[in-house]
Amino acid sequence: MNRRVVILESIAGPLYVTILLASLWVLLRGHNEPGGGFIGGLLAVTASVLWAVAHGRVAATARLPYGSAMRLTVIGIGIGVLSGIPALLLGLPYLTHLWGHIPLGFTELKVSTVIIFDLGVYLAVWGGLAGYAIELLGMDEPDAHDDTAADAAQELRA
Amino acid sequence: MAQHPSHDPSASAMSLGARAAYVLIPLLAFACVLWIAVTQPLPLDITLPWIPALGVELDFHIDGLTLLMLLLITGIGTAVFIYAGGYLAGHPQQNRLFILLTLFMFAMIGTVMADNLIVLFLFWEATSLLSFLLVGFNHEDPKSRKSAQQALVVTGGGGLALLAGAILLGQIMGTYSIQEIITALPNTEITPALTTALVLILLGAFTKSAQFPFHFWLPNAMSAPTPVSAYLHSATMVKLGVYLLARLDPGFGDWMMWQWTLQLVGSLTAAWGMLLALRERDLKRILAWSTVATLGTLVMLVGKTGHGATVAVSALLLAHALYKAPLFFVAGNVDHGTGTRIIDRLGNLRHAMPWTAAAALLAGLSMAGIPLSFGYVVKDVVGQAGALGAISELVKFANTIFAAVAVAVAAVAAVRVFWRHPGHNLTPPDAHEGGLALYGPPLVLAGIGIVLGVFPFLADGLMSLAAHAMTPRAEAVAVHFALEFGPAALLSLATTLAIGALVFIYWDPLHRRFDRILAKFDRSGSLAQYERFINGIPVLAAHSTRWLQGGDLSQYSLVLVSFVGVFMGAALVAGWSQWLWPAWVMPSAGFIGACVLIASGALLALFQRDRLVLLLSTGLVGFGSGVFYLYAGAPDVAYTQFAVESVFVIVVASVLLKLRQRGRGQGLEQTHSMRGALPVALVFGGVIAVWLLVVSGVEFNPQLHQFFGQVSVPEAHGRNVVNVVLVDFRALDTLGEIVVVTLSFLAAIALLQAVRGHAKRQRALDKTKAGGAA
Repeated sequence: MNRRVVILESIAGPLYVTILLASLWVLLRGHNEPGGGFIGGLLAVTASVLWAVAHGRVAATARLPYGSAMRLTVIGIGIGVLSGIPALLLGLPYLTHLWGHIPLGFTELKVSTVIIFDLGVYLAVWGGLAGYAIELLGMDEPDAHDDTAADAAQELRA
Repeated sequence: MAQHPSHDPSASAMSLGARAAYVLIPLLAFACVLWIAVTQPLPLDITLPWIPALGVELDFHIDGLTLLMLLLITGIGTAVFIYAGGYLAGHPQQNRLFILLTLFMFAMIGTVMADNLIVLFLFWEATSLLSFLLVGFNHEDPKSRKSAQQALVVTGGGGLALLAGAILLGQIMGTYSIQEIITALPNTEITPALTTALVLILLGAFTKSAQFPFHFWLPNAMSAPTPVSAYLHSATMVKLGVYLLARLDPGFGDWMMWQWTLQLVGSLTAAWGMLLALRERDLKRILAWSTVATLGTLVMLVGKTGHGATVAVSALLLAHALYKAPLFFVAGNVDHGTGTRIIDRLGNLRHAMPWTAAAALLAGLSMAGIPLSFGYVVKDVVGQAGALGAISELVKFANTIFAAVAVAVAAVAAVRVFWRHPGHNLTPPDAHEGGLALYGPPLVLAGIGIVLGVFPFLADGLMSLAAHAMTPRAEAVAVHFALEFGPAALLSLATTLAIGALVFIYWDPLHRRFDRILAKFDRSGSLAQYERFINGIPVLAAHSTRWLQGGDLSQYSLVLVSFVGVFMGAALVAGWSQWLWPAWVMPSAGFIGACVLIASGALLALFQRDRLVLLLSTGLVGFGSGVFYLYAGAPDVAYTQFAVESVFVIVVASVLLKLRQRGRGQGLEQTHSMRGALPVALVFGGVIAVWLLVVSGVEFNPQLHQFFGQVSVPEAHGRNVVNVVLVDFRALDTLGEIVVVTLSFLAAIALLQAVRGHAKRQRALDKTKAGGAA
């Protein structure tokens, strides 16, 4: 393991949450203001990179939703693919986005399959690029399980 | 010759039922073709829409020529499937052979039925690819692999020429329909473009049908299993070139260039192929050369004009399939029963292999053109057609050689191997006859050849239909085959037989003489040229790799940058008079700030030797561009740029730091500059700068811009046009992009895992070394 940096480690926790919240905000406002799934996902990647620098590869991967970059990116694609299905059921071309209005009395909430699609983009970008960056950052870290176990066994034999 | 079917019972052999099931496929197809022939009015057109936007439809056209080819493909196919069941019985990969043969059969059916040039090309290429797989069926044998590669390079290369020719022809004629093209061609003006198209198509046809100088691949393809040789390399695939020429003949037939090229190349191939047959000792290769010669004769006949020639083409197509396929089967049986195909080691086999001997004799009669065989009828027709028209002397000469050596080759295959021949004999002691599946198909096919010889009028209907399809004005051709025994026919028969008999008797001395003479040409022949070409590829690749990719990254950059610089600079200079310079706009403070950031980052990077500082200063360039986007009204792009730049700098910096911990990656010890780098960099920068100025001088087309600006809110309920385009209007593209992100991640993971595995092994190695030292 690398030398630990106490200041970075202690500040990483609150920063991680803050960046993720900011990325979610960027994702949600995307349709009307600058932002969206791609940019939100990239912001989330910086959060994961921060965690990887502070705590290492294994910890950063564990911190990702579903605990694996691969799973995360595949789930993102799955959500993106599924968001186009409702249109097909209504006989519209694939990925035609549907909009609905839920009245809340004082205002009305607009809901749409667009945000589901954008969420898929967000997760896929986060998973794919964060996984790549984390792997690069942790190139020299041994795997959590196999190496230590092998070392322990070797020491026992010695 | 290492293609003995293994009789290893433990191998996963196919059951008899499975083999019979495979035979059903060509049999059913054959039945379908017969049904079409009997019940449907010809020509029959079938159209299925495929790519309507490009005008490519699955147009199929069945006329007499197609029908003849279909009968050969499915009829000979049935015989081949039965034979393959017996020949490779117990072979562990027999199933693969059957699957490939089935695919091949359908590719052939598609090729001869297609009425669209592009569709024809696709099936044509499929036959080339399947031929590659079939020739290389014994893929553990390096000779097979080499032959397969040769067949693919020659026919595949010709296929590319054919594609270019087909597209060119289609563009000139305004249609890809073969029927429309050949109807319109006689009234079309001869232009250089049309001639180019013709030359390209001829290249495709000549390579496929093994015409001189591309003839060498066919005999080498004999390393394929015998069923494959009989099917692909005698009865069907190699006839595709002839088929295409015959198909186009009504269109091009009046061109002098067409007539001369076809007759010259065809005659040369016919004569040369027969001479080369005399050089061989291997029964299969002898037959292969005579196939090359027959293909030459067919091409020559297509180049002739008149009804007689078209009838001769269709008759020879049928007759050749009916005698050559059985002879290949015979060669396979001999190989199967004795373990060799070298004619010196064979003789007197008729006692051990009576059925095969009978089949050989029947097929041999037809090939030699003895009366009461279909070969005799055909030889007569071919002789009459060949004597007409231009350059008839050369054609007649080639025809005589062809016919005479055909007699000798037939005698070698039928008499020398199965009867006693003075000087050579002795039946190999272990010679034995194969099963019914081995001697049945050649007997039946050769038998049909004899039946048609005795009752030639049976072929009249089919032949007149096929000849009709090859006739320009599509007039009906009356065909009446009859047994001719006029004095002229008998005289020519006697001459051919006499020369043929002489060649047969003096085969061995002739063989030695020819081998000695022709060996001198080996170094300059087309096979040698082909070898030179193939061996030249890795040499050229090695040279260009050494020159362009020396392993020095700055060298790569220099090559790339100078290429782009010269290329774009030339374009800039070429269009100099048309460029407009943009109007001067007073920049805002933000613009100036961004430019200062970018310029200072770039200048800082120039004088850095420490890699980490170098990285940080290039990061400045990235952030400067981000600021620039912000002020240029593209906040989304700016956000993305910032995020990407941050991740990039952090990741690369961390990698660099780790390298440094290990005492590597300190940077360059001293100033390092390449010769010529400075002027190249200056020119490149200047060219790009001028380009950017010129590009921004072009008037901006606001059409898309306005469209999305207008429809974004009413149709997609979003004010951020960039995001609306990404997730709504072009959502499918975005879906594709995130899949690409994931795929590149997957690819990178595999690479990084490999590096990590290497590092782990290294660590373990270090550890054991340290342990040993302690």
